[in-house]
Amino acid sequence: MKTKLYIFLFLNVFSISIFAQEQKMNDAEIAAFKQDVNVVSKKIKTLSTDFVQYKHLDFLSKDIETSGKMVFKEPALLSWQYKKPYNYSIVFKNGKILINDEGKKSAVDIGNSKIFARINKLIIGSVSGNMFDDKEFTISYFKLKGQNLAKFVPKDATLKKYIKQIELTFDKEEATVVQVKLLESSEDYTRIVLKNKVINAKIDDSVFTN
Amino acid sequence: MQKSTIQFLLINCFLAIVLVSCGSVTKNYTPKKLDKTAIEVPYFADANADYVYKTNITVYGHEMSGVFIAKKINDTTHRVVFTTEFGNKLLDFEIAEKTFKVNSIVSELDRKILINTLTEDFRILLKKDFLIQEQFENVDFNIYKSADDSRDNYLFFSKKDQKLEKVVRSSKTKDKITITFTLENDNFAKKVVILHQNIKLKIELNYFKSE
Repeated sequence: MKTKLYIFLFLNVFSISIFAQEQKMNDAEIAAFKQDVNVVSKKIKTLSTDFVQYKHLDFLSKDIETSGKMVFKEPALLSWQYKKPYNYSIVFKNGKILINDEGKKSAVDIGNSKIFARINKLIIGSVSGNMFDDKEFTISYFKLKGQNLAKFVPKDATLKKYIKQIELTFDKEEATVVQVKLLESSEDYTRIVLKNKVINAKIDDSVFTN
Repeated sequence: MQKSTIQFLLINCFLAIVLVSCGSVTKNYTPKKLDKTAIEVPYFADANADYVYKTNITVYGHEMSGVFIAKKINDTTHRVVFTTEFGNKLLDFEIAEKTFKVNSIVSELDRKILINTLTEDFRILLKKDFLIQEQFENVDFNIYKSADDSRDNYLFFSKKDQKLEKVVRSSKTKDKITITFTLENDNFAKKVVILHQNIKLKIELNYFKSE
Protein backbone atom coordinates (compact mmCIF):
# COMPACT_ATOMS: atom_id res chain seq x y z
CA MET A 1 0.00 0.00 0.00
CA LYS A 2 2.79 2.35 0.98
CA THR A 3 4.71 1.51 -2.19
CA LYS A 4 1.62 2.25 -4.23
CA LEU A 5 1.30 5.60 -2.56
CA TYR A 6 4.93 6.45 -3.29
CA ILE A 7 4.51 5.45 -6.93
CA PHE A 8 1.38 7.56 -7.12
CA LEU A 9 3.14 10.55 -5.57
CA PHE A 10 6.19 10.06 -7.75
CA LEU A 11 4.10 9.88 -10.93
CA ASN A 12 2.16 12.94 -9.87
CA VAL A 13 5.28 15.00 -9.21
CA PHE A 14 6.78 13.67 -12.42
CA SER A 15 3.75 14.54 -14.51
CA ILE A 16 3.48 17.97 -12.96
CA SER A 17 7.10 18.69 -13.82
CA ILE A 18 6.56 17.52 -17.40
CA PHE A 19 3.42 19.51 -17.97
CA ALA A 20 4.39 22.52 -15.93
CA GLN A 21 4.67 24.51 -19.10
CA GLU A 22 1.22 23.59 -20.33
CA GLN A 23 -1.48 24.18 -17.72
CA LYS A 24 -5.18 23.75 -18.34
CA MET A 25 -7.26 26.93 -18.10
CA ASN A 26 -10.24 27.08 -15.78
CA ASP A 27 -13.65 28.21 -17.05
CA ALA A 28 -13.18 31.85 -16.04
CA GLU A 29 -9.79 31.96 -17.75
CA ILE A 30 -11.25 30.39 -20.91
CA ALA A 31 -14.02 32.99 -21.02
CA ALA A 32 -11.58 35.85 -20.52
CA PHE A 33 -9.18 34.50 -23.12
CA LYS A 34 -11.90 34.00 -25.75
CA GLN A 35 -13.20 37.48 -25.02
CA ASP A 36 -9.71 39.00 -25.54
CA VAL A 37 -9.16 37.15 -28.82
CA ASN A 38 -12.62 38.02 -30.13
CA VAL A 39 -12.18 41.71 -29.38
CA VAL A 40 -8.84 41.79 -31.20
CA SER A 41 -9.90 39.65 -34.16
CA LYS A 42 -13.06 41.71 -34.68
CA LYS A 43 -10.85 44.76 -35.13
CA ILE A 44 -8.78 43.06 -37.82
CA LYS A 45 -9.66 44.51 -41.23
CA THR A 46 -6.32 43.65 -42.81
CA LEU A 47 -3.41 41.62 -41.62
CA SER A 48 -0.02 40.92 -43.11
CA THR A 49 2.67 38.77 -41.60
CA ASP A 50 5.89 36.99 -42.44
CA PHE A 51 5.89 33.28 -41.76
CA VAL A 52 8.31 30.40 -41.48
CA GLN A 53 6.90 26.94 -42.09
CA TYR A 54 8.53 23.84 -40.62
CA LYS A 55 7.35 20.53 -42.05
CA HIS A 56 8.17 17.84 -39.56
CA LEU A 57 8.23 14.24 -40.74
CA ASP A 58 9.41 11.83 -38.12
CA PHE A 59 11.70 9.87 -40.46
CA LEU A 60 13.58 12.92 -41.75
CA SER A 61 16.76 14.13 -40.06
CA LYS A 62 15.71 17.78 -40.42
CA ASP A 63 12.45 19.71 -40.72
CA ILE A 64 11.76 21.12 -44.18
CA GLU A 65 11.83 24.89 -43.84
CA THR A 66 10.07 27.27 -46.21
CA SER A 67 9.12 30.90 -45.67
CA GLY A 68 7.19 33.81 -47.10
CA LYS A 69 4.44 36.32 -46.51
CA MET A 70 0.74 36.06 -45.79
CA VAL A 71 -1.77 38.84 -46.41
CA PHE A 72 -5.44 38.88 -45.41
CA LYS A 73 -8.11 41.47 -46.14
CA GLU A 74 -11.71 41.39 -45.03
CA PRO A 75 -14.02 39.72 -45.74
CA ALA A 76 -12.25 36.80 -47.44
CA LEU A 77 -9.23 37.80 -49.51
CA LEU A 78 -6.19 35.74 -48.67
CA SER A 79 -2.75 35.50 -50.21
CA TRP A 80 -0.23 32.92 -49.06
CA GLN A 81 3.12 33.46 -50.72
CA TYR A 82 6.23 31.29 -50.37
CA LYS A 83 9.41 33.16 -51.26
CA LYS A 84 12.12 30.82 -50.05
CA PRO A 85 13.48 28.48 -51.23
CA TYR A 86 11.01 28.65 -54.11
CA ASN A 87 8.38 31.09 -55.37
CA TYR A 88 4.89 29.74 -55.02
CA SER A 89 1.78 31.69 -54.20
CA ILE A 90 -1.83 30.81 -53.67
CA VAL A 91 -4.63 33.38 -53.52
CA PHE A 92 -8.17 32.73 -52.29
CA LYS A 93 -10.46 35.21 -53.98
CA ASN A 94 -14.16 35.28 -54.93
CA GLY A 95 -14.60 31.52 -54.86
CA LYS A 96 -11.41 30.94 -56.83
CA ILE A 97 -7.96 29.69 -55.97
CA LEU A 98 -5.25 31.37 -58.04
CA ILE A 99 -1.88 29.65 -58.10
CA ASN A 100 1.42 31.05 -59.32
CA ASP A 101 4.11 28.40 -59.33
CA GLU A 102 7.44 29.99 -60.33
CA GLY A 103 5.59 32.09 -62.91
CA LYS A 104 3.34 29.26 -64.07
CA LYS A 105 -0.21 30.45 -63.41
CA SER A 106 -3.38 28.47 -62.91
CA ALA A 107 -6.81 28.92 -61.40
CA VAL A 108 -9.21 26.54 -59.72
CA ASP A 109 -12.87 27.42 -59.42
CA ILE A 110 -13.98 26.40 -55.97
CA GLY A 111 -17.32 28.20 -56.14
CA ASN A 112 -19.39 25.56 -54.44
CA SER A 113 -16.70 23.34 -53.01
CA LYS A 114 -17.54 23.00 -49.34
CA ILE A 115 -14.18 21.57 -48.38
CA PHE A 116 -12.29 24.52 -49.89
CA ALA A 117 -14.66 27.02 -48.33
CA ARG A 118 -13.89 25.32 -45.07
CA ILE A 119 -10.12 25.41 -45.67
CA ASN A 120 -10.33 29.10 -46.50
CA LYS A 121 -12.26 29.75 -43.29
CA LEU A 122 -9.80 27.62 -41.38
CA ILE A 123 -6.73 29.50 -42.62
CA ILE A 124 -8.26 32.89 -41.96
CA GLY A 125 -9.51 31.66 -38.58
CA SER A 126 -6.07 30.26 -37.72
CA VAL A 127 -4.24 33.46 -38.49
CA SER A 128 -6.77 35.88 -36.99
CA GLY A 129 -7.41 33.55 -34.07
CA ASN A 130 -11.18 33.64 -34.38
CA MET A 131 -11.88 29.95 -34.65
CA PHE A 132 -13.78 29.17 -31.45
CA ASP A 133 -16.57 27.26 -33.11
CA ASP A 134 -17.75 24.49 -30.81
CA LYS A 135 -19.89 23.00 -33.56
CA GLU A 136 -16.82 22.39 -35.74
CA PHE A 137 -14.24 21.55 -33.10
CA THR A 138 -13.71 20.08 -29.70
CA ILE A 139 -11.59 22.79 -28.12
CA SER A 140 -9.28 22.69 -25.13
CA TYR A 141 -7.43 25.63 -23.57
CA PHE A 142 -4.02 25.87 -21.91
CA LYS A 143 -1.73 28.45 -20.35
CA LEU A 144 1.95 28.69 -21.23
CA LYS A 145 4.62 31.13 -20.10
CA GLY A 146 3.57 34.44 -21.68
CA GLN A 147 1.32 32.61 -24.10
CA ASN A 148 -2.03 30.89 -24.40
CA LEU A 149 -2.68 27.73 -26.33
CA ALA A 150 -5.92 26.46 -27.87
CA LYS A 151 -6.20 22.94 -29.31
CA PHE A 152 -8.89 22.22 -31.89
CA VAL A 153 -9.93 18.68 -32.79
CA PRO A 154 -12.18 18.65 -35.88
CA LYS A 155 -15.58 17.02 -35.49
CA ASP A 156 -16.16 16.58 -39.21
CA ALA A 157 -15.01 13.16 -40.44
CA THR A 158 -13.70 14.46 -43.81
CA LEU A 159 -11.62 17.18 -42.22
CA LYS A 160 -10.41 14.78 -39.55
CA LYS A 161 -8.90 12.56 -42.24
CA TYR A 162 -6.46 15.35 -43.12
CA ILE A 163 -5.99 17.13 -39.83
CA LYS A 164 -5.96 15.39 -36.49
CA GLN A 165 -5.58 18.57 -34.48
CA ILE A 166 -4.88 22.27 -34.91
CA GLU A 167 -2.95 24.09 -32.21
CA LEU A 168 -2.96 27.88 -32.08
CA THR A 169 -0.50 29.64 -29.81
CA PHE A 170 -1.42 33.21 -28.82
CA ASP A 171 0.69 36.00 -27.44
CA LYS A 172 -0.86 36.69 -24.03
CA GLU A 173 -0.58 40.48 -24.23
CA GLU A 174 -1.68 41.03 -27.81
CA ALA A 175 -4.15 38.12 -28.00
CA THR A 176 -2.98 37.38 -31.56
CA VAL A 177 -1.75 34.12 -33.07
CA VAL A 178 2.02 33.61 -33.08
CA GLN A 179 2.14 29.96 -34.12
CA VAL A 180 -0.12 27.53 -35.99
CA LYS A 181 0.55 23.81 -35.69
CA LEU A 182 -1.33 21.35 -37.88
CA LEU A 183 -1.02 17.77 -36.72
CA GLU A 184 -1.70 15.06 -39.29
CA SER A 185 -3.22 11.72 -38.45
CA SER A 186 0.20 10.22 -37.90
CA GLU A 187 2.76 11.91 -35.65
CA ASP A 188 3.82 14.30 -38.39
CA TYR A 189 2.98 17.96 -38.33
CA THR A 190 3.37 21.36 -39.98
CA ARG A 191 4.40 24.22 -37.69
CA ILE A 192 3.98 27.79 -38.94
CA VAL A 193 5.56 30.62 -36.99
CA LEU A 194 4.12 34.08 -37.67
CA LYS A 195 6.28 37.17 -37.17
CA ASN A 196 6.45 40.88 -38.07
CA LYS A 197 2.68 41.04 -37.94
CA VAL A 198 1.03 44.28 -39.12
CA ILE A 199 -2.65 44.81 -38.39
CA ASN A 200 -4.94 47.17 -40.31
CA ALA A 201 -2.35 48.71 -42.61
CA LYS A 202 -3.84 49.80 -45.94
CA ILE A 203 -3.67 46.89 -48.37
CA ASP A 204 -4.54 47.31 -52.01
CA ASP A 205 -6.73 44.69 -53.72
CA SER A 206 -4.04 44.26 -56.36
CA VAL A 207 -2.05 42.25 -53.78
CA PHE A 208 -4.59 39.49 -54.37
CA THR A 209 -3.88 39.02 -58.06
CA ASN A 210 -1.47 36.41 -59.19
CA MET B 1 5.42 -23.09 -107.97
CA GLN B 2 5.83 -19.56 -109.17
CA LYS B 3 2.71 -18.54 -107.22
CA SER B 4 4.07 -19.97 -103.99
CA THR B 5 7.39 -18.19 -104.54
CA ILE B 6 5.56 -14.88 -104.89
CA GLN B 7 3.57 -15.63 -101.74
CA PHE B 8 6.78 -16.50 -99.92
CA LEU B 9 8.38 -13.24 -101.02
CA LEU B 10 5.31 -11.24 -100.00
CA ILE B 11 5.25 -12.82 -96.56
CA ASN B 12 8.96 -12.19 -96.19
CA CYS B 13 8.55 -8.53 -97.18
CA PHE B 14 5.68 -8.19 -94.76
CA LEU B 15 7.70 -9.76 -91.97
CA ALA B 16 10.64 -7.53 -92.81
CA ILE B 17 8.42 -4.44 -92.59
CA VAL B 18 6.92 -5.59 -89.29
CA LEU B 19 10.32 -6.37 -87.84
CA VAL B 20 11.80 -3.04 -88.94
CA SER B 21 8.87 -1.02 -87.61
CA CYS B 22 8.77 -2.89 -84.31
CA GLY B 23 12.56 -3.17 -84.16
CA SER B 24 14.36 -3.83 -80.93
CA VAL B 25 14.98 -0.81 -78.70
CA THR B 26 18.70 -1.41 -79.18
CA LYS B 27 18.61 -1.30 -82.96
CA ASN B 28 20.42 2.02 -83.11
CA TYR B 29 23.12 1.00 -80.67
CA THR B 30 26.31 -0.86 -81.39
CA PRO B 31 26.92 -3.93 -79.21
CA LYS B 32 30.08 -3.78 -77.18
CA LYS B 33 32.06 -6.20 -75.02
CA LEU B 34 30.75 -6.11 -71.45
CA ASP B 35 33.18 -4.15 -69.24
CA LYS B 36 31.27 -4.59 -65.95
CA THR B 37 28.53 -6.81 -64.58
CA ALA B 38 27.16 -4.53 -61.85
CA ILE B 39 26.54 -0.80 -61.48
CA GLU B 40 25.81 1.21 -58.36
CA VAL B 41 23.73 4.36 -58.70
CA PRO B 42 24.37 6.72 -55.77
CA TYR B 43 21.79 9.45 -56.41
CA PHE B 44 19.30 8.37 -53.72
CA ALA B 45 21.49 5.96 -51.76
CA ASP B 46 22.80 8.02 -48.84
CA ALA B 47 20.94 6.99 -45.68
CA ASN B 48 21.96 10.24 -43.99
CA ALA B 49 20.46 12.48 -46.66
CA ASP B 50 16.92 13.90 -46.81
CA TYR B 51 16.08 14.06 -50.51
CA VAL B 52 13.60 16.95 -50.84
CA TYR B 53 12.44 18.16 -54.25
CA LYS B 54 9.85 20.68 -55.45
CA THR B 55 7.71 18.69 -57.82
CA ASN B 56 5.61 19.42 -60.86
CA ILE B 57 3.44 16.70 -62.32
CA THR B 58 1.76 16.97 -65.71
CA VAL B 59 -0.79 14.26 -66.37
CA TYR B 60 -2.94 14.38 -69.52
CA GLY B 61 -2.74 18.17 -69.61
CA HIS B 62 -3.49 18.64 -65.91
CA GLU B 63 -0.83 20.15 -63.71
CA MET B 64 -0.21 19.63 -60.05
CA SER B 65 2.65 20.56 -57.81
CA GLY B 66 3.99 19.73 -54.40
CA VAL B 67 7.02 18.48 -52.56
CA PHE B 68 8.62 15.07 -53.12
CA ILE B 69 10.53 13.65 -50.15
CA ALA B 70 12.57 10.45 -50.16
CA LYS B 71 14.75 8.91 -47.49
CA LYS B 72 16.55 5.61 -47.27
CA ILE B 73 15.24 4.08 -44.05
CA ASN B 74 17.14 0.78 -44.12
CA ASP B 75 19.34 -1.31 -46.47
CA THR B 76 16.48 -2.22 -48.77
CA THR B 77 13.75 0.36 -48.30
CA HIS B 78 13.00 4.02 -49.07
CA ARG B 79 10.24 6.06 -47.52
CA VAL B 80 8.61 8.29 -50.13
CA VAL B 81 6.23 11.11 -49.21
CA PHE B 82 4.49 13.62 -51.46
CA THR B 83 3.00 16.72 -49.84
CA THR B 84 1.38 19.96 -51.00
CA GLU B 85 3.39 23.18 -50.58
CA PHE B 86 1.32 23.78 -47.43
CA GLY B 87 2.67 20.55 -46.01
CA ASN B 88 -0.41 18.32 -46.23
CA LYS B 89 0.61 14.75 -46.92
CA LEU B 90 -0.91 13.40 -50.13
CA LEU B 91 0.80 10.04 -50.18
CA ASP B 92 3.24 8.13 -48.02
CA PHE B 93 4.86 4.93 -49.39
CA GLU B 94 7.57 2.52 -48.33
CA ILE B 95 9.25 1.09 -51.40
CA ALA B 96 11.75 -1.77 -51.62
CA GLU B 97 12.96 -3.86 -54.58
CA LYS B 98 10.17 -6.40 -54.32
CA THR B 99 7.74 -5.00 -51.79
CA PHE B 100 5.87 -1.82 -51.16
CA LYS B 101 3.54 -0.51 -48.52
CA VAL B 102 1.09 2.38 -48.58
CA ASN B 103 1.27 4.14 -45.20
CA SER B 104 -1.33 6.67 -46.27
CA ILE B 105 -2.89 8.19 -49.38
CA VAL B 106 -5.62 10.80 -49.79
CA SER B 107 -8.81 9.35 -51.26
CA GLU B 108 -8.55 11.50 -54.43
CA LEU B 109 -5.30 9.71 -55.37
CA ASP B 110 -6.23 6.28 -54.12
CA ARG B 111 -6.40 4.56 -57.52
CA LYS B 112 -4.67 1.25 -58.17
CA ILE B 113 -3.37 2.29 -61.60
CA LEU B 114 -1.86 5.49 -60.18
CA ILE B 115 -0.26 3.71 -57.22
CA ASN B 116 1.21 1.03 -59.52
CA THR B 117 2.56 3.65 -61.94
CA LEU B 118 4.16 5.74 -59.22
CA THR B 119 5.59 2.67 -57.50
CA GLU B 120 7.24 1.53 -60.73
CA ASP B 121 8.64 5.04 -61.34
CA PHE B 122 9.97 5.49 -57.82
CA ARG B 123 11.41 1.98 -57.71
CA ILE B 124 13.65 2.65 -60.74
CA LEU B 125 14.45 6.16 -59.52
CA LEU B 126 15.57 4.93 -56.10
CA LYS B 127 17.24 1.69 -57.23
CA LYS B 128 20.91 1.50 -56.33
CA ASP B 129 22.16 -1.86 -57.62
CA PHE B 130 21.80 -2.87 -61.24
CA LEU B 131 23.09 -6.20 -62.60
CA ILE B 132 24.30 -5.81 -66.17
CA GLN B 133 23.87 -8.41 -68.91
CA GLU B 134 24.70 -6.55 -72.11
CA GLN B 135 26.51 -3.45 -73.22
CA PHE B 136 26.09 -1.09 -76.19
CA GLU B 137 27.22 2.32 -77.33
CA ASN B 138 26.15 5.17 -79.56
CA VAL B 139 27.88 8.45 -80.35
CA ASP B 140 27.36 10.01 -76.91
CA PHE B 141 26.75 7.18 -74.47
CA ASN B 142 27.94 3.86 -73.13
CA ILE B 143 24.71 1.94 -72.57
CA TYR B 144 24.26 -0.91 -70.09
CA LYS B 145 21.30 -3.27 -70.17
CA SER B 146 19.91 -4.57 -66.88
CA ALA B 147 17.03 -7.06 -66.99
CA ASP B 148 14.24 -6.33 -64.52
CA ASP B 149 11.27 -8.72 -64.50
CA SER B 150 9.57 -8.51 -67.90
CA ARG B 151 11.25 -5.20 -68.70
CA ASP B 152 14.81 -4.01 -69.24
CA ASN B 153 16.44 -0.95 -67.78
CA TYR B 154 19.04 0.76 -69.96
CA LEU B 155 21.59 2.91 -68.14
CA PHE B 156 23.10 5.70 -70.25
CA PHE B 157 26.56 6.89 -69.16
CA SER B 158 27.86 9.92 -71.03
CA LYS B 159 31.13 9.23 -72.81
CA LYS B 160 32.28 12.75 -72.00
CA ASP B 161 32.38 12.42 -68.20
CA GLN B 162 31.27 8.82 -67.44
CA LYS B 163 28.21 10.00 -65.49
CA LEU B 164 24.84 8.27 -65.49
CA GLU B 165 22.57 10.75 -67.28
CA LYS B 166 19.47 8.68 -67.89
CA VAL B 167 17.76 5.39 -67.26
CA VAL B 168 15.33 4.11 -69.87
CA ARG B 169 12.88 1.35 -68.99
CA SER B 170 11.78 -0.59 -72.06
CA SER B 171 9.88 -3.58 -73.27
CA LYS B 172 11.59 -5.59 -76.03
CA THR B 173 10.33 -3.16 -78.65
CA LYS B 174 9.39 0.12 -76.98
CA ASP B 175 10.71 2.61 -74.45
CA LYS B 176 8.22 3.03 -71.62
CA ILE B 177 9.78 5.36 -69.07
CA THR B 178 12.77 7.70 -69.32
CA ILE B 179 14.39 9.14 -66.20
CA THR B 180 16.86 11.96 -66.86
CA PHE B 181 19.28 13.27 -64.24
CA THR B 182 20.92 16.70 -64.06
CA LEU B 183 23.77 16.39 -61.61
CA GLU B 184 24.96 18.67 -58.85
CA ASN B 185 27.93 16.40 -58.19
CA ASP B 186 28.90 12.75 -58.71
CA ASN B 187 26.52 11.49 -56.05
CA PHE B 188 23.61 13.84 -56.25
CA ALA B 189 21.00 14.89 -58.83
CA LYS B 190 19.67 18.44 -58.53
CA LYS B 191 17.03 17.80 -61.16
CA VAL B 192 15.20 14.66 -62.23
CA VAL B 193 12.63 14.25 -64.99
CA ILE B 194 10.51 11.12 -65.19
CA LEU B 195 8.81 10.93 -68.58
CA HIS B 196 6.36 8.25 -69.65
CA GLN B 197 6.22 7.31 -73.31
CA ASN B 198 2.99 5.28 -73.30
CA ILE B 199 0.89 7.58 -71.08
CA LYS B 200 0.91 11.36 -70.89
CA LEU B 201 2.68 11.66 -67.59
CA LYS B 202 5.71 13.75 -66.72
CA ILE B 203 7.14 14.22 -63.23
CA GLU B 204 9.76 16.90 -62.71
CA LEU B 205 11.76 17.09 -59.48
CA ASN B 206 13.88 20.11 -58.57
CA TYR B 207 15.98 19.85 -55.43
CA PHE B 208 15.65 22.65 -52.94
CA LYS B 209 17.80 23.38 -49.97
CA SER B 210 15.89 24.01 -46.79
CA GLU B 211 16.81 27.36 -45.25
